[in-house]
Amino acid sequence: MRYRIHLPLLTILTHLVIMMTGCMEWDNGPDNDGPFEVRGSGLFIINEGNFQYGNATLSYYDPTDRKVENEIFIRANDMRLGDVAQSMTISDDGRGWIVVNHSHAVFAINTETFKECGRITGLPSPRYIHFINAHKAYVTQLWDNHIYIIDPTSYAITGTITVPDMEPENSSTEQMVQFGKYVFCTCWSYQNRVIKIDTETDQVINSLTVGIQPQSIALDANGKLWVLTDGGYEGSPYGYEAPTLCRIDPETMTVEMRFRFKMGSSPRSLQTNRARDTLYWLDDDVWRMSINETRPPLKPIIMSRDTKYYGLTIDPVNSEIYVADAIDYQQQGIIYRYTASGTFMESFYVGISPGAFCWKK
Amino acid sequence: MKKNAAIFIYMIFLCIAALAWNESAAQSVNRLREIVVTTRRPLKDIGVQKTDIDSAMLKENIALSMADILTFNSSVFVKNYGRATLSTVAFRGTSPSHTQVTWNGLRLNSPMLGMTDFSTIPAYFIDSATLLHGTSSINETGGGLGGLVRLSSMPDIHDGWNMQYIQGIGSFSTFDEFLKVTYGSEKLQTSTRIAYSSSPNDYKYINHDKKVNIYDDNHNIIGQYHPTERNKSGAFNDFNILQDIFLNIDSQNRIGLNVWFTDSRRELPLLTVDYGSDTEFINRQHEHTLRSVVSWNHSTAKWHTALKGGWLNTEMKYIYKRQVAAGGIMKSMTDSHSRVNTLYGQADGGYTPARGWYITASAALYQHFVRSEDRSIVTASGDNAIVGYDKGRVEFSGSASVKWQPYDRLGMSVVLRESMFGNKWASLVPAFFIDGTISRRGNIMARASVSRNHKFPTLNDMYFMPGGNPDLKSEHGLSYDAGISCDIGKSGIYGLDASVSWFDSYISDWILWLPTTKGFFSPRNVGKVHAYGVETHANLELQPMKDWFLYLNGSASWTPSVNQGPALSPADRSVGKQLPYVPKWSASLTGRLAWRSWMFTYKWCFYSRRYTMSSNDVSITGNLPAYFMSNISLEKSLAFRPVDLQLNLAINNLFNEDYLSVLSRPMPGINFEFFISVTPKFLNKKRKQ
Repeated sequence: MRYRIHLPLLTILTHLVIMMTGCMEWDNGPDNDGPFEVRGSGLFIINEGNFQYGNATLSYYDPTDRKVENEIFIRANDMRLGDVAQSMTISDDGRGWIVVNHSHAVFAINTETFKECGRITGLPSPRYIHFINAHKAYVTQLWDNHIYIIDPTSYAITGTITVPDMEPENSSTEQMVQFGKYVFCTCWSYQNRVIKIDTETDQVINSLTVGIQPQSIALDANGKLWVLTDGGYEGSPYGYEAPTLCRIDPETMTVEMRFRFKMGSSPRSLQTNRARDTLYWLDDDVWRMSINETRPPLKPIIMSRDTKYYGLTIDPVNSEIYVADAIDYQQQGIIYRYTASGTFMESFYVGISPGAFCWKK
Repeated sequence: MKKNAAIFIYMIFLCIAALAWNESAAQSVNRLREIVVTTRRPLKDIGVQKTDIDSAMLKENIALSMADILTFNSSVFVKNYGRATLSTVAFRGTSPSHTQVTWNGLRLNSPMLGMTDFSTIPAYFIDSATLLHGTSSINETGGGLGGLVRLSSMPDIHDGWNMQYIQGIGSFSTFDEFLKVTYGSEKLQTSTRIAYSSSPNDYKYINHDKKVNIYDDNHNIIGQYHPTERNKSGAFNDFNILQDIFLNIDSQNRIGLNVWFTDSRRELPLLTVDYGSDTEFINRQHEHTLRSVVSWNHSTAKWHTALKGGWLNTEMKYIYKRQVAAGGIMKSMTDSHSRVNTLYGQADGGYTPARGWYITASAALYQHFVRSEDRSIVTASGDNAIVGYDKGRVEFSGSASVKWQPYDRLGMSVVLRESMFGNKWASLVPAFFIDGTISRRGNIMARASVSRNHKFPTLNDMYFMPGGNPDLKSEHGLSYDAGISCDIGKSGIYGLDASVSWFDSYISDWILWLPTTKGFFSPRNVGKVHAYGVETHANLELQPMKDWFLYLNGSASWTPSVNQGPALSPADRSVGKQLPYVPKWSASLTGRLAWRSWMFTYKWCFYSRRYTMSSNDVSITGNLPAYFMSNISLEKSLAFRPVDLQLNLAINNLFNEDYLSVLSRPMPGINFEFFISVTPKFLNKKRKQ
């Protein structure tokens, strides 16, 4: 039996073969982007992404030009930032340190080119980084009763600080502020204390029970600590109570003043302005209070508008307010920019679940 | 290395032995199905849109799970988190919990999660698999907003004793073992099947999500590259045993027992963006599941009655341990235990009062007892505490239907279904089905249906600690579909059937888990989804000449699944957009070419771009590009006097595609597995004669 070549059939078959062998196209972006070179001050926005999906991203906003660049880490470095970006801090030498919690890593980047300078890995569950000097920084952890000491010049873990009276199973050290030679750190998840660390000996020298789950901490112009507790959740075996805002004397480690929020509310993201004489926080709305007030404010400075406020920062130069809305936590979140008096200025989209900010001076 | 070389030599030896063997001794069993040109269809299938999975594909090789089968033999979306890792199935742009799954009548969906992990269902344990699309699932059970996967074990048992043993050896030190022993007589049929699979599953892949830095002496980066890594913490060890017994009491009564036990130990692989070391973590789950169904069927000319009872017990332990001190001392960060006990009872009846009429009634009752807890919590006083819930829930689903075929060419069916969970009754679900023969030439038939449906919140949705929301409402929807099909053939030459269906459904009060400001997730009824599209399916069987047999099965779907809001805020850009991780296009094709005792199988599937954000941003992290996947296998049957042998070489990911099904979950490149099947004849004297 003889067969003739059937051209249309051959064409279809060729197309089918090409279709069946086609490869997935990887897109990490940098081919289409020129190198970044940003000057002057700006705002980094740390977008957590979705837990277990590795889609955390970093955005950069120039408040003067009102221009935002998204996914700058992957665009500059041709690799992903990781899973659950938690925080970012810029060290005195100008490097930006991004703590990526569920990737168990901290990346250092050049804050002008966004190129990676180095990284620290082998961290159990890093949350925040605080620089003591050019050769020492502390990294707090979830599920670990140690704060890790790292050397930012060699990107090496050089030691740990053991937190006493804390079981590894539900350990948590969270945000840090420094007053003199002491670092004060909140112990958040299933914890209730603020600890005091001597940076010369790297030892916990004191602690204060403040309430269930102290989440954020700030230092005011009078040298007082302010701590927000979230109160836990209903049904928690660790307890459930009304969240509080406490003022603490850092020398005596005593609570000087305590404001209680309504049961079930979720205050978070305690911030100060440049003068550190005004406190800001999120609790559905954006709230503001002078550090000299003896009663909590009755009205917020910025009302919620069906928003899911997830992060807050105050411009250290002009006290403008930036508040992040995660919307549905599955799409690009939006940042609203307000004047210091709470008048809306503009908004811009960033990445999924924008939860933290970092100012570049 | 030595072990791999030995395996390779062993495979070569077996292939040569197969090639050198006399062809005429073995004959493959590939026959054309009979094309029955008739206008009188089974009344129970009036208006039903279903896909029957070819039984030969279920038995292609023992390493396949039902997730693999559905990937290549249907156009439903199989979301795969990795090899031997969670695989879920979603119909028509809905979510995995909208797919109901039954095994011999018993619903397999987890009462805690609502979905079913198809990667844990070995295809060799399934003898019949049917997909009921959309509204058609109402005939069987409620809650299938997307559809229903009906699985059953009804082995084709020959007379006397029979045995089959299969061993598979594959890439990544994968070993599969399968043993089946059956006995059949006119009165009694029994089948015992045992399967065991294990692998370190440490396949290599190029990690595009990471770079390795090269530093100079001053810790400056002087070079970077994407590393080739291994899948870390991905080992699995699955054991399954299935016992089926059927006893024909007389010509009208049959009783059956199906018992299936699973012991699965699986590690949960690290993400591609994880910089932790797998030696510092243990991230593992261990599952014991026993499913059992006892059934009684009674059939007469006019009556059919069936009673079923069952028990399902699942014990699942998930542990996340981390090294907390030097010397390998580990502590549990998560120590999660769950126990599910489900008692099940079902009664079905069917009555044919007259020609063209069929009346059915069904009632199914499930009593779940669920205890879910995390034991790793330490209180402020230093005591250990448990976080979780301990709940029971009754679920009832009952239906009645009337099916009527006034003319040979026309059939109609009305189904009413009522469901209850806890103490809440859902509103009555009506469904209407109609079909008709347009042309006897080509068996061209049109069918259509419309129904409402409900899906209850799962127990985790309502009670999980922290985050459970006891105030959740049921998801509910309204669906329509219509389609046309044809079935043609020429006896002994070819058979072709094809269908195209359109569907349209609206699902309200869609449940989604969202983060809270307290740091945990909580489910909420978020809005409305409009899922619509077209499904096509074609099946060709061709016997072009003596000893040749060609089988082609293809399907394709276009499934827009659109969030209809309302918008959560003025900034919400998800309204009017495709749901995340739902491809608009999907397709699969399976081809089987047999010549005498040889059989070549080619399998292909395609998923279009999946958005990872609800706003459908086509940013770098906002989408997963489309991918194609091709698998092949070559099988040779050999018949010796004492035994039948089958040799099968399977190649997965033929073109070594570098792809992802879910963000940050690595998938294996090209990999191989070789199977040898031994079927002794000495056990069955009848057959030998």
